[in-house]
Amino acid sequence: MEPQTIDRCEVLSPQERRIQEDQLGRENAYLASRKRVSAILNSFQAMRPKIDIERALYFTRSMRETEGQPLILRWAKAMRRIAENITVYIDPHQLLAGRAGCPGRYGILYPELDGDFLGLAIEQLPKRVESPFNITDEDARLLIEEVAPYWKGKTFHEDLAVALPEETLRLTYHPENVLLSRYIVNETASFRSSLQWVHDFEKVVKRGFASIRDEARQRLEELDPFSPVNNMEKRPFLEAIIIDCEAIITWAHRHAELAAQMAAAESDPQRKAELEHIAEICRRVPEHPARNFQEAMQSQWFAQMWSRIEQKTGTVISNGRMDQYLYPFYKQDLDAGLIDEDQATEMLECMWVAMAQFIDLYISPNGSDFNEGYAHWEAVTIGGQTKDGRDATNDLTYLFLRSKQQFPLNYPDLCARIHARAPERYLWEVAETIKEGSGFPKLLNDEEIIPLHLAKGATFEEIYDYSGSGCAEVRMPNRDTYTSGCAYINFAAALEMALYNGRMKLYGDERIGLETGDPREFKTFDEFWNAYLTQQTNFLKHAFIQQHIIIRLRHRHFAFPLGSALHDLCMEHCLDLHTPQIPGGIDLGYFECIGYGTVIDSLSAIKRLVFEEKKLTMAQLIQAMEANFDGYEDVRHFLMNVPCYGNNTPYADEIGKAIDRAAVQFAHKYSRELGVHLDLRYVPFTSHVPFGRVVSATPNGRKAWSPLSDGSSASHGADNNGPTAILLSNFNTKNYDYRERAARLLNIKLSPKTVAGEEGTAKLVSFLRTFCDLKLWHIQFNIINRETLLAAQKDPEKYRGLIVRIAGYSAYFVDLSPELQDDLIRRTEHGTI
Amino acid sequence: MGTPNARVKGILFNIQQFSVHDGPGIRTIAFFKGCPLRCIWCSNPESQSATPELAYNPERCLTFDHCVRCLEICTPGAIHKNDDNRPRIDRRLCTQCLLCTDACPAKALWGYGETTSVAQVLEAVERDGVFYARSGGGLTLSGGEPMHQPAFAIALLEEARRHRINTAMETCGHCRTADLVSAAAHLNTLIYDLKIMDDSLHRQYTGVSNALILSNLKQVRQACPQLPVLVRTPIIPGINDNAEAIAAIVDFIAGMPRVRYEMLAYHRMGTPKYGYLGRTYEIAETALADGRMTQLKQMVHHRHPDLPLVQ
Repeated sequence: MEPQTIDRCEVLSPQERRIQEDQLGRENAYLASRKRVSAILNSFQAMRPKIDIERALYFTRSMRETEGQPLILRWAKAMRRIAENITVYIDPHQLLAGRAGCPGRYGILYPELDGDFLGLAIEQLPKRVESPFNITDEDARLLIEEVAPYWKGKTFHEDLAVALPEETLRLTYHPENVLLSRYIVNETASFRSSLQWVHDFEKVVKRGFASIRDEARQRLEELDPFSPVNNMEKRPFLEAIIIDCEAIITWAHRHAELAAQMAAAESDPQRKAELEHIAEICRRVPEHPARNFQEAMQSQWFAQMWSRIEQKTGTVISNGRMDQYLYPFYKQDLDAGLIDEDQATEMLECMWVAMAQFIDLYISPNGSDFNEGYAHWEAVTIGGQTKDGRDATNDLTYLFLRSKQQFPLNYPDLCARIHARAPERYLWEVAETIKEGSGFPKLLNDEEIIPLHLAKGATFEEIYDYSGSGCAEVRMPNRDTYTSGCAYINFAAALEMALYNGRMKLYGDERIGLETGDPREFKTFDEFWNAYLTQQTNFLKHAFIQQHIIIRLRHRHFAFPLGSALHDLCMEHCLDLHTPQIPGGIDLGYFECIGYGTVIDSLSAIKRLVFEEKKLTMAQLIQAMEANFDGYEDVRHFLMNVPCYGNNTPYADEIGKAIDRAAVQFAHKYSRELGVHLDLRYVPFTSHVPFGRVVSATPNGRKAWSPLSDGSSASHGADNNGPTAILLSNFNTKNYDYRERAARLLNIKLSPKTVAGEEGTAKLVSFLRTFCDLKLWHIQFNIINRETLLAAQKDPEKYRGLIVRIAGYSAYFVDLSPELQDDLIRRTEHGTI
Repeated sequence: MGTPNARVKGILFNIQQFSVHDGPGIRTIAFFKGCPLRCIWCSNPESQSATPELAYNPERCLTFDHCVRCLEICTPGAIHKNDDNRPRIDRRLCTQCLLCTDACPAKALWGYGETTSVAQVLEAVERDGVFYARSGGGLTLSGGEPMHQPAFAIALLEEARRHRINTAMETCGHCRTADLVSAAAHLNTLIYDLKIMDDSLHRQYTGVSNALILSNLKQVRQACPQLPVLVRTPIIPGINDNAEAIAAIVDFIAGMPRVRYEMLAYHRMGTPKYGYLGRTYEIAETALADGRMTQLKQMVHHRHPDLPLVQ
């Protein structure tokens, strides 16, 4: 084989060019022009993250002292303890004060969530292959001796495990060891207190926490002093809001003191002035309304860091529509001559490098499998429409895009909303940013999301103002409410159980699913289809049972005073955001289909080869799969050459639509009684890799234990009709007559040559317009040469800075496990649009 | 689709979706089988013969260790065991029945050419309709030579227009004038190859005289003066990659209305396909000199500044 090097590629993406320049020892011109952020970047890049235990320690100590009190009040008091004691930091060169843990890349712990994993984690985290962490011996000792024992028997995870009925448990965990997931009907509620979330940051910057505190005080005074409900529910809620608002103000003021001390000791006059300015700002926000761009940025930053300390929201709190709520401050400062584009960009980049240092730490093996490459998605949303349905792009929108084109960092995740009337300039800049090659931005489509959420009960005003949240979801920060992490369902395992009468090769003779008969005795494809559907429906049944239990357990374990303080409905009804049902709220949840392409292609192969062409018998097929196709290469090739999902062929797409339809119909029937929109979603994170690890060889020719297809993308190498075909297959397989659908994540990999030059950009723009026309939900791109990935795998040191798109987020390629690296390399690369 | 046109059938060797190089926007290309020319540089050798033919790629073959299906199914005995434990095809014995292609699990054996109706082509084309609307794309007839199956080509174009699909056709121009003019009436763009002006060289390298080709271009230009025409020349090293040869071509077209000109650099992408058909590509070793395309473009631009040149 010829050597794989970057030089052999005909056209390089800008990212690849930068890496090449770097390898040749040339300075990065952009970074050279941005001394401040490069200095910060150099201080932590390539550093292995550390675990900071302060949050866990102070939280636990406070919770120990408040047992018996209402949960939200205990939470607020714990936050006050943290605010008063946690170490505060202002990093060298930084313009934004504050972080949630020690310098460098760091993660913090939430023992109330999954503290029963602590022992295992401390032993394994430093040496695990994917996303390792360091911890000092002293900290490990404190965790084991002080933190973990308190939470024993009290964590959400333990409570959930004992509450699951036996049949559900069997599909969820290993019956003998509930610390291990089975990756069949996988719960995700125990590695995050909720699904991803976005706060109303506009409220933070415009009102400030003093105003929210005063509102709570006022409400407290107005309570009926004799009402039991007011006394036992509303009073503790309002007291908690007051305590928490004061806690974040205290925390900010401690930064002001630190900045003043540092300024006094600083010899460099420029830095001294900066520190004095920081001190002044931290005395002002987030207590009071921000008065300018820097104050708004600092206020938002304090709020999001405080939110991280308070709760482990799925995928970390997202940033909302930054180009909208920051724009008035930017415009005002720009008009007054107080700031220019460069200074504003520097402020944004200060936030990006600060964000990049906080790592969303998953201590359970399950959680880390889902989120390889130190994943976190504090999505910044840009573009889209205003509350009254006009195009929303502004100068700040373009500033975000430019910052993302030139600044080599995988955080934050940039999420660009597009709609039918999106200006050409906007789409052009979006396309140019995509061409940069590091996977930004991902696109969300207003034309699918807005009508769908109207059907789910939103008003026009609310949904026109939606924010991207997490990897592919959306939030309306004052209308929808907190939903617990939902089930990830292995559809390929349902297929395996249809093949082996309710059993899986990995688990031997143990019956896990339903006994649907020996497929070797089936006479028609319909019989096999029904067996598959029975298994799929059984999985859904247990996923919904899981959810029913989770919804009822979760609010006994978690409270979120900050999130509740920022939510109109929580404040109105004095209810914590975790409350199962908040009057007027919409709960937007989902269950996940993993292995969609794998299952469609497998069913297509069985239908075509066993029942129509009769080239194979079911017995031969099963024999070949049991041998993992060793000695059955011919059978495997027949299987791989049937019509596959992703090629815009009706044969495969009709099977896909039927699978989707059965699932949305189940949701239609049963999600109402759960009180949650539990809808069908296709967003894998990186979970298609561990889910593949439990599934033996499948009838699409996939070898045992290898990754399943990801999201709504085609199986690897199965899509050979170009990227437009995979868009159409997605369209063909959706059931637009049901509202029980949620996001579909779509990965497209293009060679840089395909989109080279102005003509390439124009093609990409027309491709994006068509994506919009087709009412697909989400799309993201990797524009990279295969050779680059192979070279990076071989020589990771030289490619430390290489950023790739995974699933709703981008990560450093060299931080990924070899398995996921291979998976990325095998994604079909399209040479034409 | 009930119109008589819809039922007309012809032989295609491929329907390629999502092409961006042959006509405006994102297009679907119908490749017609059969060509009156035998250009020695041809990059689509599978297009030349008018009937279906067998192709074979030994690299895809699983070897006889895993599968002997083709050997068993070939009644004329055209498939033999080669030294590398893979099939060797005796083309003289092969009847092009193509039964082996269906038996082959790995698609190492396949057929070029399939009988297809106008309705089937349009169904495939319209499946991608949403992309045409945004990009200004549509259907392109290519080949081979579409005018080698004139009834099929004209029916397809007429029907495509009835469906409001943007149409283009690539032709070598060696066909009946009346057919070309009929086809042109249903076209949005005509793509017309002019290869060599010197007739004896044209005969030598393509097998036919260029007289009919040159007169057809004039005829169609006269019959359909509003139709945009893109004249194309493949630049082949050692044959027409010189200023004199290209000057003769552009001099011929320079005065014509609504004509653009494009030069296509010689490539060797077709080489493996010769192998699949059991043939050899005679000029596989040649290559264009560096900068030659740029020189020729500059020359054309200086000579006829008003002739729109496609970059």
